Amino acid sequence: MELLVAEHVEKNYSGYRALDDVSIAASEGRILGLLGPNGAGKTTLIRIINRITAPDKGTVLFCGEPLSQKHVSQIGYLPEERGLYKKMKVGEQAMYLARLKGLSKGDAEQRLRQWFERFEIMGWWNKKVEELSKGMQQKVQFIVTVLHEPKLLIFDEPFSGFDPINANLLKQEILRLKSEGATVLFSTHNMASVEEICDDITLVNKSKVVLSGNVREIRESYRKNIFDIRCCKHGEELTLSSEMEIVQQTTDGDETDLRVRVGNTPSNELLRQLIGQADVLSFQEVLPSMNEIFIEAVTANNQQN
Amino acid sequence: MNKIFLVIQREYLTRVKKKSFWILTLLVPILLVALYAIPIYLSLNSLEVTNVAVVDETSMYGDFVSTDDVNYFYYDDTTAAKEALYSDSIDAFVYVPKTISGKLPTDVSVYYYKEAPSASVKSDIEEQLQGMLRNSILVNVYEITPDDYDLITNTSVHMIVEDLETGEKDFVEIKMMIGLILSLLIYMSIFMFGSQVMRGVMEEKTNRIVEVMVSSLRPFQLMMGKVIGVALVGLTQFALWIVLSGGLISAFTMANADKFAGAQTEQITSIATKGQESVDQTAVTMPELSESQEMIQGLMNIQFGTIILSFLIFFVLGYFLYATLFAAVGSITESETDNSQFVLPLTVPLLLSIILMPSMVNAPNGSLAVWLSMIPFTSPVAMMVRLPFGIPIWQVVVSIGILVVTFLISLWVAAKIYRTGILLYGKKITYKELWKWLRFKN
Repeated sequence: MELLVAEHVEKNYSGYRALDDVSIAASEGRILGLLGPNGAGKTTLIRIINRITAPDKGTVLFCGEPLSQKHVSQIGYLPEERGLYKKMKVGEQAMYLARLKGLSKGDAEQRLRQWFERFEIMGWWNKKVEELSKGMQQKVQFIVTVLHEPKLLIFDEPFSGFDPINANLLKQEILRLKSEGATVLFSTHNMASVEEICDDITLVNKSKVVLSGNVREIRESYRKNIFDIRCCKHGEELTLSSEMEIVQQTTDGDETDLRVRVGNTPSNELLRQLIGQADVLSFQEVLPSMNEIFIEAVTANNQQN
Repeated sequence: MNKIFLVIQREYLTRVKKKSFWILTLLVPILLVALYAIPIYLSLNSLEVTNVAVVDETSMYGDFVSTDDVNYFYYDDTTAAKEALYSDSIDAFVYVPKTISGKLPTDVSVYYYKEAPSASVKSDIEEQLQGMLRNSILVNVYEITPDDYDLITNTSVHMIVEDLETGEKDFVEIKMMIGLILSLLIYMSIFMFGSQVMRGVMEEKTNRIVEVMVSSLRPFQLMMGKVIGVALVGLTQFALWIVLSGGLISAFTMANADKFAGAQTEQITSIATKGQESVDQTAVTMPELSESQEMIQGLMNIQFGTIILSFLIFFVLGYFLYATLFAAVGSITESETDNSQFVLPLTVPLLLSIILMPSMVNAPNGSLAVWLSMIPFTSPVAMMVRLPFGIPIWQVVVSIGILVVTFLISLWVAAKIYRTGILLYGKKITYKELWKWLRFKN
């Protein structure tokens, strides 16, 4: 079931169209990656979902109902540009933000203590925010975002400013929240994290949706029929039939790594031809990375216009 | 609504908890009381007595009178005076040498050893010398007694301005003072708290706090929460100032009660002794005493209840008008340096009303004063200038009405600018742009 659906959303700023007929759908319990180059309109879309601004055209449905102010309490939003009051104490600040989300004083304090203990940051409670490093502040912000247990979590570039250890901690927390039933909208440029985390993606470029769907299906649809082979050659040369092309070949001692473009030839045919000339150690299809797909889709889209 | 309350609470508490708030809250009453108390304290407790010797070879300056600060002694010759000076039993000596007969002895030297006499000691010596010289000229040349001279120079007319029907006395000076104090107070507080709102908004914008906040509450709630929170900080500060100043002044008066009483009896005895010397002199001082009583009566005649109520109404309305606009300015600027083009139009009317204050005081019901007290951007200050003089109640009501309507319009404008501006970065905003936002349906 779709938790959040935006249909044909259009948003104009004075003399500039930020979103043009954009539709996205976030399925319940899945992670949707919202991708796109800078200025594509991602933040505008996220602001519309958060009811910070209203669309000029189109509808946004939350749980099948038109999005309204009451749904805001069921959304947790971690913006890309995020700050805290520098002079406030961490605990006070977290309590304030939690209570603005509608939590009672008691609930807010109890949940905050749980999270602070889980992240092992209880010692920060009475520190001023300005004494914390940027990464530490981000942890606090993450906690405040998810504290009221919203159905929909929106993370805009959540990993920026985190070291690898804390980025990994955050990733595990996001996956844990997903396993507990939360739906996640995840906006990023970091394509490696998309492959690791996202179930579905929507790619936006120049105010329009260029590509959307299941991550695995998209990668398969972008397959170039390229295979990586590791083998021990019998002779000096490997010869393949003319439809197939060896793109790359490196030899290290006995072992040779090959990258072969097979064209329309079935992969079994490649394997059959190789078996006569070498001992095949491994054989794997190379699917394009999300990074390559991103660049390809955006470049193609830019050339069209 | 609960969220606005949370914002108000945070804005209020973070400001009230700041050290700078308490420093200002304590400093102002202390300065105020110091201004009042230090001169009194000094006059009650003279710190040091200077001993001055007089060597008068002309026998014309024989009437030196010791004061609280300076003791005068007569010495026969300079040798004795020098000795006393070196031995530290005196601090300075005045030497009036014998001059050619017939010529008035006006050449006087004051000698000191190591430490020169203070300015007040010098002026005391000088005044006494001049007084004695003048008296001798009066007596010897013009044949006027010093008492007659005092009578001539102290001639004054005491004027009472009185309402023909009620007999109520008018004290323009008091009204001017009250008007001046109130209008300056309203001007400074609108500025101070208005710019606090602006800085708060800029802090939220430049630190990207709004991004986190706007998903929880509407920008309007955030803006109003801040404006109301800062207003409460201002009112708290006023209340503390009044309580602390009052407390400090009465504590000071209590602590020095015995000295005050002593000083008063001293004054009375000095008047009494003078009175014995000359009856005319007491007759001159009598009206002065009753004048201060009349001043107090005049103060009582001013309707403080109405003035305080009007002050609060005009402060709150004026503050809200300016604070919402300051919030809007804060939302469209990212640093203090590039907001002058928007801050200036806000400060000009306030400054103008202060600059035009003297003209308004001279003609509190003149057309300039009336107009300025109707124009909403100047009326809070202008009204405070006019109020103590007593003005038609309909003018106050109309002025408040105009202020309320303008506030509602400015609130609408500010809210529109604020909600767009607060999330906009890295773009220099022009008036043309603002006009577009206002016309843009959102």
